[in-house]
Amino acid sequence: MAKVILEVNELTTRYITRFRESIYAVDHVSLKVEDGKSLGIAGESGCGKSTLALSLMGYYFAPLYYTSGEIIVDERHITGMDPDAVRKTILGTEISYIPQAAMNALNPTRRVINFIEDVIQAHRPQTTKREIYEMARERFELLGLPAEVLQKHPVELSGGMKQRTVIATSVILSPKVLIADEPSSALDVTSQKMVIKMVMDLMEKGIIKALVFITHELPLLYNVTDDIMVMYAGQVVERGAAQEMVFDPIHPYTKALMGSIIVPEAGLRNVKLAAIPGTPPNLKKPPSGCRFADRCKFVMPECRAASVDLRDIGAGRAYRCIIPEEDLRRLYKNEK
Amino acid sequence: MKGYRDYFLKKLAWFVVTVVVAFTLNFFLPRLMPGDPVAAIVSRMAQGMSNATGVQAVYEQYTRLFATDKPMLEQYIIYIRNVLNGDFGYSISQYPRTVADVIGASVWWTIALQFPAIIVGWIVGNTLGALAAYIRKGFDKVLLPLSIFLSNMPAFGMAIVLLVIFAVDLKWFPTSGGYDYAMIPSTSWEFVWSVIVHYQLPFWSIVLITIGGQAIGMRSMAIYELNADYVKYARFLGIKDSKIIRYVFRNAMLPQITGLALSIGTMVSGALVAEIIFNYPGLGSTILTAVLGGDYPLISATTLIITFMALVAFFALEIIYGLIDPRIKAAQSE
Repeated sequence: MAKVILEVNELTTRYITRFRESIYAVDHVSLKVEDGKSLGIAGESGCGKSTLALSLMGYYFAPLYYTSGEIIVDERHITGMDPDAVRKTILGTEISYIPQAAMNALNPTRRVINFIEDVIQAHRPQTTKREIYEMARERFELLGLPAEVLQKHPVELSGGMKQRTVIATSVILSPKVLIADEPSSALDVTSQKMVIKMVMDLMEKGIIKALVFITHELPLLYNVTDDIMVMYAGQVVERGAAQEMVFDPIHPYTKALMGSIIVPEAGLRNVKLAAIPGTPPNLKKPPSGCRFADRCKFVMPECRAASVDLRDIGAGRAYRCIIPEEDLRRLYKNEK
Repeated sequence: MKGYRDYFLKKLAWFVVTVVVAFTLNFFLPRLMPGDPVAAIVSRMAQGMSNATGVQAVYEQYTRLFATDKPMLEQYIIYIRNVLNGDFGYSISQYPRTVADVIGASVWWTIALQFPAIIVGWIVGNTLGALAAYIRKGFDKVLLPLSIFLSNMPAFGMAIVLLVIFAVDLKWFPTSGGYDYAMIPSTSWEFVWSVIVHYQLPFWSIVLITIGGQAIGMRSMAIYELNADYVKYARFLGIKDSKIIRYVFRNAMLPQITGLALSIGTMVSGALVAEIIFNYPGLGSTILTAVLGGDYPLISATTLIITFMALVAFFALEIIYGLIDPRIKAAQSE
C-alpha cells in the first residue's frame, strides 16, 4: 500500500455567526489521499465542500473555527500545532491552496513576481530576489506560462491567465498536498480545459504528491481524480473510486446528482436530466435523522429516527443510508 | 509608456481648458454684482470737498485708474494682459495697496494654518481608521460614533465650541487674531509665542473635523480590503499578517489620497469659516472684506488663487494616480 500523504480523521469545523450561532459546515469528515493519488469532492453549493477546503489547511481565522478531529500531512499532525508554526512550516510548503475566485486572488497593486517574493520569503527569509526570480521563471516555464507574466500586475492578465498564474504561484514551493477549490468554475470552456490540464500536470511532473479537487460538477471529477467523495449538508454521503461513483452510484443523493447534470461521456449521455427537488437543510439546526430525508425519493419513517452512519462496504467504498446497497439498486431498477 | 503619455497630454489639455474658463468666470462674476465700489472710495477721498466738479474729476480719475469707464470686454482684455505680466492691479477697498500686496500679506497665514492642519488631520484620521478596522471590538465601537460626530459637525460649529470652551470659559487661549494686537510683527520670542498661542484653536478646529471624515473613510475601505479574496489567498500561502496588513492599507489608502488632494485644493475656501470666526489674518478674512467692499480686483485675484490651487491639486492627483494605481494605468493604456 502506498504511503498516505493526507489523512483526515473526523474533522469538524464550524462557523460562528455574528449572532453567536454555530454552523457545523464540516461535520466529522474523514478522508485519505495516498502518494500520487487525487481525491475529488463534489456536492451542491452550500454542502460544505468549500469549507472543507478551508478546514483542510489547518489554519483557521474568523468566522471559521476548528472544533475537533485531526489532519495529518505526511505523518505530521497539523491540528493542535501553534498557528504561527502552521503558517511558517505548513502553508505553501506542505499543503497549498487554489482559491475559488482566482479573479481577485492576487493583490491588484502588486506585480506577480513581488507577490511570489513575499510568499517565498515568508518561509525562507534568506532567499535573494535573484534566486526567487530564477525559481519562479523555471516553475512558470515548466507549467507553460511565459516568464513575462511575472512582471505584470494582475489587471494586465486575462481571466484564464490569472487562474494559471495563481496555480503556478500556489505550487511555487512544491507543496505535498494541493487543495483546489473549484479552480475552473468561473472560466470559459477553453480556459477550463487548460486549467484542469495544468492541475493534472502538477501531479504528472511530480510537483505535488496529492491532490484534493473540489467541484460541483461530479462528471468533471471522473476525468481528473482517482477517487470521489460526495458531500451533503456538511457530511460525507458516499465515497469510492471515480469510475464506480460515476457509473454506479449507491446513495440516492449521488444518484440524483449524476442525473441533474448534462454529461458528455458515452454511456451516461442518455440519462434523463432531472433537478433534485427541495433545498438542503438549515445547518444551524440540522435534522436529527438522515439529512437528505426531506428530498429523498425513497424516504421511510425510520430515516428520520436517528442519525445515519457511514456504511463501509470495502475497497474504499462507503455510503450513508439505512437502506442496504442491494435494495437501493433494486429500487433504481424498478424506477426505470 | 506611450499610453501613459497620451493620458498625461489629455489631462493637461483639460487642465488648460478649465483654467481658461475659470479665469473668465472669475473676472466677470464679481463685476456683475450690483453697486459701484469706485464711488465708495471717491466719497472717502472727497470728504470735505464741496466743489461738485472737483468730486466729478476725482471720480473720473479713479474710474480711469480701475478702468471701470471702459466696456466690460475691453476691461477683460486689459486684465488678461496685466495678469500675464503679474500685475493684479490695485485693491479698491484698501486703495492705495496693490492686490498683490494684500494677498501677499495674508496668504502665508492661511497656508501656515491650513496645510499642517490638513496633513495632521489626514495622517491621524487614517491611522485611527485603519486601527479601528484591524482591531475592531471596543476601539472601533468608540471611534466610529466619535468620528461620525466630528465629521458631521459644521466647521463654524466646531470653531465656536472650541472658542467658547477654551478661550471664553477656560481662558487658555486668546479669542481672536493671528497674534497679540498690541505687538508689532518681529522675530522676537514673545511674538513667536503669541503666534503659537493664537494658532491653536483655529488649527484644532480644522484638524478635528478632518480626523473624523478621514477615519470613517479609511475604516470602511480597510474593512472592505481586509475581506478581499487576495487577503485569504495570501494567508493560505503562509504570508505573515503584518505583511498582509501592509497590502490592505496600501490599497485602502488609494481613495484616501483623493480626499487629501481635495482638502489641499480647497484649502483657501475651507479656511474662510475658521478664519472669520477667529478673526485670523489669512486669505479667508481677506475674501470676506473684498466681497463686502465690492473689491473686483481683489475678489478676482483671490478666487483665481482658489481655483488655481484646486485645479493644480486635481491635476497632480490624476497624474500621480496613473502612476501608483496599476489598474488606472492599465485602463489608460488600452
